[in-house]
Amino acid sequence: MRHIVRKEFTDVLRDGRFRWCAILVGALLLVSLGHGWAQARSAQQEHAAAQATARDHWESQGEKNPHSAAHYGIYAFKPRLALSFVDEGVDPYTGTSVWLEAHRQNDFLLRPAQDATAAQRIGALTAAQVLQHLVPLLIILLTFGALAGERERGTLRQLLATGIGRRELAVGKALGIAGALALLLVPAALVGAAALVVGSPGPAASPLARGVVLAGVYLAYFTAFLALSLAVSAWARSARTALVILLGVWVVNGLVAPRVAVDLSKWLHPTPSALEFARNVEREMASGVEDISRPDRAALTERLLAEHGVERVEDLPVNEVGVYLQESEEFGNRIFDRNYGALWDTFERQGVVHEALAVVAPLLAVRTLSMGLAGTDVEQHRHFATAAEAYRRDLMRRMNGDLAENSRTGDTYLAGPELWEETPPLEYAAPTLGWVLGNRILSILVLGTWLVGAVLAAAARVRRAEVG
Amino acid sequence: MTARSVLRNEWRLLMADRALRIVLGLFAVLLVYALANGVVWMRFQERTVEAVQTGNVERTRALADELAAIENGAEPASRFADPRAPNVMGGARGSHTAVLEPGPLTALAVGQSDLLPYYYDVNIYTNESSFHQNGEVENPLNLMVGRFDLTFVVIYLLPLLVLALSFNVLSEEREQGTLALTLSQPVSARRVVAAKLAFRALLLVGMVLAASLLGILVTGGFGSPGRVLLWCATVVTYALFWFVLAAWVNSLRRSSAWNATVLVGAWLVLVVVLPAAINIASGLLHPLPSRVQMVTAQREASNEAVNRRSELLARYLEDHPEMAGGVVAEEPGLGALAWAATDAVNRRLEEVTSEHDARRAEQIALVRRYRFLSPALLAQEVLIDAAGTGDARFAGFQSQVRAFAEQWREFFVPAILASEQMDASVLPDVPKFRLEDEEGADVARRAGVPLTVLGALLVLAGVGAGVGLGRVRGAD
Repeated sequence: MRHIVRKEFTDVLRDGRFRWCAILVGALLLVSLGHGWAQARSAQQEHAAAQATARDHWESQGEKNPHSAAHYGIYAFKPRLALSFVDEGVDPYTGTSVWLEAHRQNDFLLRPAQDATAAQRIGALTAAQVLQHLVPLLIILLTFGALAGERERGTLRQLLATGIGRRELAVGKALGIAGALALLLVPAALVGAAALVVGSPGPAASPLARGVVLAGVYLAYFTAFLALSLAVSAWARSARTALVILLGVWVVNGLVAPRVAVDLSKWLHPTPSALEFARNVEREMASGVEDISRPDRAALTERLLAEHGVERVEDLPVNEVGVYLQESEEFGNRIFDRNYGALWDTFERQGVVHEALAVVAPLLAVRTLSMGLAGTDVEQHRHFATAAEAYRRDLMRRMNGDLAENSRTGDTYLAGPELWEETPPLEYAAPTLGWVLGNRILSILVLGTWLVGAVLAAAARVRRAEVG
Repeated sequence: MTARSVLRNEWRLLMADRALRIVLGLFAVLLVYALANGVVWMRFQERTVEAVQTGNVERTRALADELAAIENGAEPASRFADPRAPNVMGGARGSHTAVLEPGPLTALAVGQSDLLPYYYDVNIYTNESSFHQNGEVENPLNLMVGRFDLTFVVIYLLPLLVLALSFNVLSEEREQGTLALTLSQPVSARRVVAAKLAFRALLLVGMVLAASLLGILVTGGFGSPGRVLLWCATVVTYALFWFVLAAWVNSLRRSSAWNATVLVGAWLVLVVVLPAAINIASGLLHPLPSRVQMVTAQREASNEAVNRRSELLARYLEDHPEMAGGVVAEEPGLGALAWAATDAVNRRLEEVTSEHDARRAEQIALVRRYRFLSPALLAQEVLIDAAGTGDARFAGFQSQVRAFAEQWREFFVPAILASEQMDASVLPDVPKFRLEDEEGADVARRAGVPLTVLGALLVLAGVGAGVGLGRVRGAD
């Protein structure tokens, strides 16, 4: 079998078509890795600098009523995670910054894609795109003739006559092709790993572990494609038929299924229009909804007076305004949780439609896992958005608490820099690898099924392959 | 043997091929799916536009009602939202939403309409940062992948089908040994290939155009005949380019397998690799400036402005004497001071934005040069532009909204500076946004260069095919 591996390997390397394709794919891979890395790094530096400036603005806002400071608020900038240079995922389509202010949860604004052109939308190329689309194509081109071609030329009969088993022959061919591909992919993986170690573009929980799992995911994907191509090559009557079928698989996998998933997910789980969403929040903020009602100022005053046994609000040991503001804040939070929570949940359900369609297109499972591990999927955007919102709520609690405790109703009260400095800065901890994989059980299962199914299919087809 | 008999013969042969019938049936299903998606999306936008316009009417009516009540002696509902105050009537409460109707052919090309905002609330506080909006609520994942619309089918799938039907249009005859027989008739190879391809083109382009016209009919796009014509012309030119490319490759007298490899390779390079490579190259050579710095700049401008309000007012009045009627410079009202600060922030924002926009325009101009390398990019550009969902129409809308915001300020700011109150009598004179939508001629002018280049690519491939086919002999 060693001979077969070596022969296939040298055959592939000698093939001028492979050499050109491999050079093209390799160049695109390296360039996209390098470009992604440089871009992620400068974006992360810029975001970190902007975050520091925002903190600076917050601390140097001078003497102010804490509620004025709450209205002034602070901006949060989404960090670029370490592995985002491999797969930028949905990052161009999510906002990069959010204003955290009193009374309302704002949307993330400034989507990089809005600044780009329509042409840039159809042809974004990241390392992940090369791995998901072009490498499988290369595998197909290398494999479609592996058995069908030998059969057509009549050399399959000769080979088998030498006493080698069919399975050995097929495994040998697969290993030879894999070896040739490894010449392309291993250096790229090493470059990626080196980039991660030498100059990690941004923070992430356990970037190396994520990187290793990411490599495993792509390895599983390529193995599945190789096995599938081999199965078709063993089954098809001619090399040409094998190629046509495999190209059809490639088109459905990479072009048709992903887009079908988009519209299907929207039909199954429709999102409200931006106008409807905004009006809903506005209406519920104005008059409450279901069991969530606006805090009643008069009732609050009475309750406070009774609690402290005084007659006038001026005699209360707390500033009634601060207490009321915090109650309004908590009322608003419940409205935001309701509306934004429902919207995020719809996005998540739409994501499940994409994941489920991986049954016909393994790319969808790989894409989901790849973005998840790179930290650039919708769920991790939500993770950061939730962290930023939690920070906003804490900030408001501190401001209202200071107002309530350190002043009396009716006072003119100004807080100083100590209060601004006491407020901790936003520190974001990216989710752990376990969290990411736990969310992605479906994709892991589907990809695993594809891998096992393709290998079994290849084994079955090779066993039954006709000789001539 | 005439062209007609070739056509008739081809029809019989194609229809006898079961696999082909299935593929064509599948293509028809995909066309319908794509069209349905587009129509649903267009209807969704139309409903939103209607709701926005109703909102405008309702806001004005609410203001009129409250102003009438106040005239009859009622107290304003809130001291801070007294509709007589010009910064309330011209502020968020009385704001007017400027809206862009969906492009006439949105059902065929979603284009940028799922990403870019198509309505803006305009009031006296509208400034450059008001244009930083997210647009429609949409899952970022869906935005990333893009829609399955007719444009996607035309750009990506149609060429594949064209190639599948034509890669062996001549090589098969030779491989089956029928070429010598065919060419022994009084007909040239050119005529034979042309007739065969014409038949296939009629079939495929006919299907796409039928789907397009159906979509246009359902959504009422025939009101813009220029756009419809441009759409159809682009589809035809783009599809013919691929047919002619197949003819050219066939004329090289190689095997069907070789033809298939080369044509699939050409598709891959022109449709997938080149657009992506162009984007990487343009990102490397001409990186887009980032908006993040704008957030910081805006913040700094407003911090500064709040601290220097009186000084800013004096400068404002110097710069805008036309707005100054009635302002007592020694004793300016709070509204006037606040306005001076607002205006200072706006002007600083305009500086930052115009710098950014200039760099962005430069980058885009450079990137646009490379699109001539890929017929797919050229076709996409013209198709979505014809549909009214391209970048240009949104940019035009935005600049009209900018002008409208200026008009709005001119109406309300003098009253703010003079601390005047307004009443219901001014309501009919409050500016209303009226979009001057681009004409078919504007679109055609923009499409001129890309469509010409696409046509030139078609002619180039056609000449290659013509010359090559002229050399084909029955004895090959």
